[in-house]
Amino acid sequence: MRQFRDGVFSMTGREWSLLAACVLAIIVFSVASPYYATSGNAGTVLRNSIELLLIGLGMMLLLAMGGIDVSVGVVMGLAAIGVGRALGAGVDPVLTAFVGPLTGALLGLVAATVIVLGRVPAIVGTLGLLGVYRTAIFVLLGGQWLSGLPTGLTVLLGTTILGLPIAAYVIALAYLAVWVALRRTPFGLHLLAIGNSEEKARLSGIPVVKVRFATFIISGALTGLAATFYVANYRNVEMTVGSTLALDAIAAVVLGGTSILGGKCSLVGTVLGVLLLRILQNGLLLVGVPSLWQPVVTGGLLIGVLSFEVLSNRLSLLQFRWAGK
Amino acid sequence: MTAAFLVARGIAKRFGALTALSDVDLEIRPGEVLALLGDNGAGKSTFIKILAGAHPPSDGELIVEGMPVAFSSPKDAASSGIATIFQELALSENLSISENVFLGRELKRSVLGVPFLRRAEMRRRVDSLLKELDAHISDPEAPVGSLSGGQRQAVAICRALNLNAKLVIMDEPTAALAVAETRKVLALTRRLAERGCAVVLISHNISEVFEVADRIVVFRRGRKVAERLRAETDPEEIVSFITGAHPGVRALEKTN
Ligand SMILES: Nc1ncnc2c1ncn2[C@@H]1O[C@H](COP(=O)(O)OP(=O)(O)OP(=O)(O)O)[C@@H](O)[C@H]1O
Ligand SMILES: [Mg+2]
Repeated sequence: MRQFRDGVFSMTGREWSLLAACVLAIIVFSVASPYYATSGNAGTVLRNSIELLLIGLGMMLLLAMGGIDVSVGVVMGLAAIGVGRALGAGVDPVLTAFVGPLTGALLGLVAATVIVLGRVPAIVGTLGLLGVYRTAIFVLLGGQWLSGLPTGLTVLLGTTILGLPIAAYVIALAYLAVWVALRRTPFGLHLLAIGNSEEKARLSGIPVVKVRFATFIISGALTGLAATFYVANYRNVEMTVGSTLALDAIAAVVLGGTSILGGKCSLVGTVLGVLLLRILQNGLLLVGVPSLWQPVVTGGLLIGVLSFEVLSNRLSLLQFRWAGK
Repeated sequence: MTAAFLVARGIAKRFGALTALSDVDLEIRPGEVLALLGDNGAGKSTFIKILAGAHPPSDGELIVEGMPVAFSSPKDAASSGIATIFQELALSENLSISENVFLGRELKRSVLGVPFLRRAEMRRRVDSLLKELDAHISDPEAPVGSLSGGQRQAVAICRALNLNAKLVIMDEPTAALAVAETRKVLALTRRLAERGCAVVLISHNISEVFEVADRIVVFRRGRKVAERLRAETDPEEIVSFITGAHPGVRALEKTN
């Protein structure tokens, strides 16, 4: 009951297990590699988590609504090109920072139009957009990297307030805003009701089309915001930008306890899912596993956790029957 | 006789090549429980989904309190005072009781243009509605997924009451209920009518219908084949209408 009450922000068995898994992974890697347990490496893991924390937040909302977006990687790529070009053209860095979320929101609007108005399943619609955007990135970059960009956005990561970089505050604010939207406004109830059953939500008088549009736009804006940090962090955009991001985001969010079928999500779980994924990827690299294997690990985790959920659901159903109910 | 709250004229509904309803005329009056009977697939659920704004009719018109209406969504029907409790209860199992009762029509206060839920107020209202219904649910914050069939029915009825509906439509509300819970829902149905509500009740249970209904309408293969005041008919006659054994139905089906 308690757990239900704060449905989207709670520490249940799932979150505790993830936390334990993170700690365990850190211990194992520290023993296995002398390069692992350094403050420099901790910084690397956290820096590498920034984009995924934001994209995962959007993906969590989409999954909770019964949607999905497999094009987040290329959406971030397009937004990053926008940010990079603006930066390169000497636009004021403060304005440049907003180019990312704006581009992302616009692309979210496009996705919603295709999926909601076109009545295409989200996975198919975003898969189609993924193909289109991948080519668009190729055309926009002209087969070359966008590199050596000015340092205008580096303050987002370099400047600290009370010991934390600006990025940390922005991410915390994004999570807080999503929590408020989910638990304190009608939007959150509507989103979770649609995730439970779109037809029932419609019968209950919920403006389903509006809510679905809003969610795709919010997720797009978060992905675009991730692009701003991406450019601040790497100061280049390569052709294959974001190619594993969709897999990473879906895996992290599902790992965090958000239902792939919709209707249920966890904010703490999303954060811990992202951290666990990045800790594993970084640690495996440092103990000498080639980065080629990273998607294998991520994909394996995703499949593993989904099969586990199906299994434990069956088990509890069986117990239910045995108990004679 | 009181003026009808809702008049349906010549209502038809086609799903592609399938005609689920044709040429249905019906009047629904305040303070009256109208029972809708008919075999599986007779078109009962389809008809009430049209009244509820969930399906647009293919043909015909609806008149509410003398004014023609065209519902494009359940929200439209709700704002005309029509609340529907669907056969497949339109509740969200992942949300709490009070969230469900107010879903789509939440109480909110605006702070800087952002609509914030008034959760405490919603909880308080749902609490008193549940008490009024004698629903034996202690915690309005419990998830609906954890409730029994009868409790879920009570939550759905709460939703209708909370809307201050002038017409409450219930599609087989007692189908999944045990005896005691069925009694409670039937008593509630009468109470709604005594409050001046118009009630439409769909049921397959003839004795239940004869217990609560004032007027009985029978659908068969998408058509209205009979309308009787309860006092003027008996269960045998109604059953013969439902099965098509009644000579009147035979004659009707021959002409079409
Ligand atoms: N959305 C739909 N699309 C296509 N056909 C439908 C749809 N809804 C209902 N039908 C068809 O319309 C007919 C009438 O169905 P309806 O659900 O109204 O019957 P009913 O009288 O409520 O039956 P029951 O007692 O089994 O609930 C059936 O043949 C059904 O298959
Ligand atoms: Mg039905």
